[in-house]
Amino acid sequence: MIDLFKFEISALNNKTILLEWRMDPSDTLLEHLIKFKSLIEKDFQVNRCVTGYQSLLIEIKNKIRSLTYWEEHLKKLQKKNKTIIKGIHWKIPVCYDLKYAPDLLNLSKEINLNASEVVKLHLSTRYRVYFLGFLPGFLYLSGLNSRLYLRRKKKPLLKVPKGAVAIGGMQTGIYPNISPGGWHLIGNTPVNLFNPKKKPPCFAKPGDWISFEQIDSDTYTKIESEQKNGNYQLNKI
Amino acid sequence: MIEILQTGIHTSIQDIGRHHFKNFGVPVSGALDQSAYLIANSLLNNSPEAAALECCIKGPKLKFHDDFYICLTGAEMNARLNDEILKNYKPYFVKKEDILSFGIAKTGCRTYLGISGGIKTEKVLGSRSQYKNITSSDKISKNTIIPIGKSNFKPAVGTRVKEQKINYANKKIEVYRGPEFKYLKKEQQKLIEKKIFHISSLNNRMAYQLKEKFIHNLPQIWTSPVIPGTVQCTPNGSIIILMRDSQITGGYPRLLQLTESSIQLISQKTTNSKIRFKILPKII
Repeated sequence: MIDLFKFEISALNNKTILLEWRMDPSDTLLEHLIKFKSLIEKDFQVNRCVTGYQSLLIEIKNKIRSLTYWEEHLKKLQKKNKTIIKGIHWKIPVCYDLKYAPDLLNLSKEINLNASEVVKLHLSTRYRVYFLGFLPGFLYLSGLNSRLYLRRKKKPLLKVPKGAVAIGGMQTGIYPNISPGGWHLIGNTPVNLFNPKKKPPCFAKPGDWISFEQIDSDTYTKIESEQKNGNYQLNKI
Repeated sequence: MIEILQTGIHTSIQDIGRHHFKNFGVPVSGALDQSAYLIANSLLNNSPEAAALECCIKGPKLKFHDDFYICLTGAEMNARLNDEILKNYKPYFVKKEDILSFGIAKTGCRTYLGISGGIKTEKVLGSRSQYKNITSSDKISKNTIIPIGKSNFKPAVGTRVKEQKINYANKKIEVYRGPEFKYLKKEQQKLIEKKIFHISSLNNRMAYQLKEKFIHNLPQIWTSPVIPGTVQCTPNGSIIILMRDSQITGGYPRLLQLTESSIQLISQKTTNSKIRFKILPKII
């Protein structure tokens, strides 16, 4: 039995506490972290809390006086952890046509599959959102089929297009905006993952689920323009 | 209002930062040298959150369209109001049609221009700090107009804080041990403090990369939160000091953590500056 309640505590600087769990990331740990985080954020001494795969970073209002105090305080708080995390399941439309998937053929060749098998495997998984990072609106997703693992490109691309759906190492993800990146681009979504003018700026949150839905390029164009006019609604399951 | 006649090298609107959207992957941003930025606001009796211009290496040329008070802090950048040479850390009255121009930074690298009333561009996600894909641009643009807020500020006679004693040439960068520091071998732990490092040309608001490589045996980590001042070490030994525009999570081992005042000091340094890490005792 893994002990979810066992964490290591350290101070990153005089106002930042880091909690680390010495176990591999899992949905059980993820749900524990999400619940614990929401309890921590309600504490009046805390400014905010950020999650990683197996860690929580806590920014506190005043200087840390004693780590022992925080360790005991947080351990007590952790025991109140009772809510259930359901998470919303989002269906994200992706066009895997070659004009949107510059690396699909090369990736297929490298992992000895044909392009349609790659797409089928990519579509067959329900991915879990672990946290957001790297870029505003970038979702760290878990659950990629191990047959699709491929180490990142040696030379990152300077401008990965917005909406690119990609595979890098053991992960898959969507580039919310143009950025440099070393992942293999196997498709593109017309859906906007990050809009700073919206509240919240990204629809997905840790604990949610994502699956991809294949669309043709006409549908891509249609969704793109619907989104521009503000009358596109993403499908939930 | 203020009109931008020339932009300088990289001049951007910055404030105290965008702290509340980290969970959406949004960087903190804000003035890199928070100390200089906050002093500019306090000398003008502005709120600590009032946005200012951060000028890097060579500042802009500006024309004032109303009367204001302004105050410069941080690096010395040969600022001139029309023909008059301006000193840092002193409020000056500027009139409509006056022109403010900057030269190249003599000491330090970043100068803050505070304006009474503060810059009033649109707030995005709780801050005016410019950052690509959040605000419309990551720096100011030529021939644009920047709105300024209202203020009744009148300086008391002779207001000027004592010249700031911060020596921007100081090599010593104070750090705490980072979460993965303990995995270094003893001799590597000693070496990181002994070695003189140089800042490479890859230095900007996002991160400062150092020229020298640091060979290490640090394990790979699962992506974990990082904050400004976190010192990462890549598998090939590159050392990267994260600054305020950096991403909020990272997958490289975290070797060291700069103190707040060291972040301010390093943000006044640029390509080829020498630094030496000084490890402070454990925080608690």
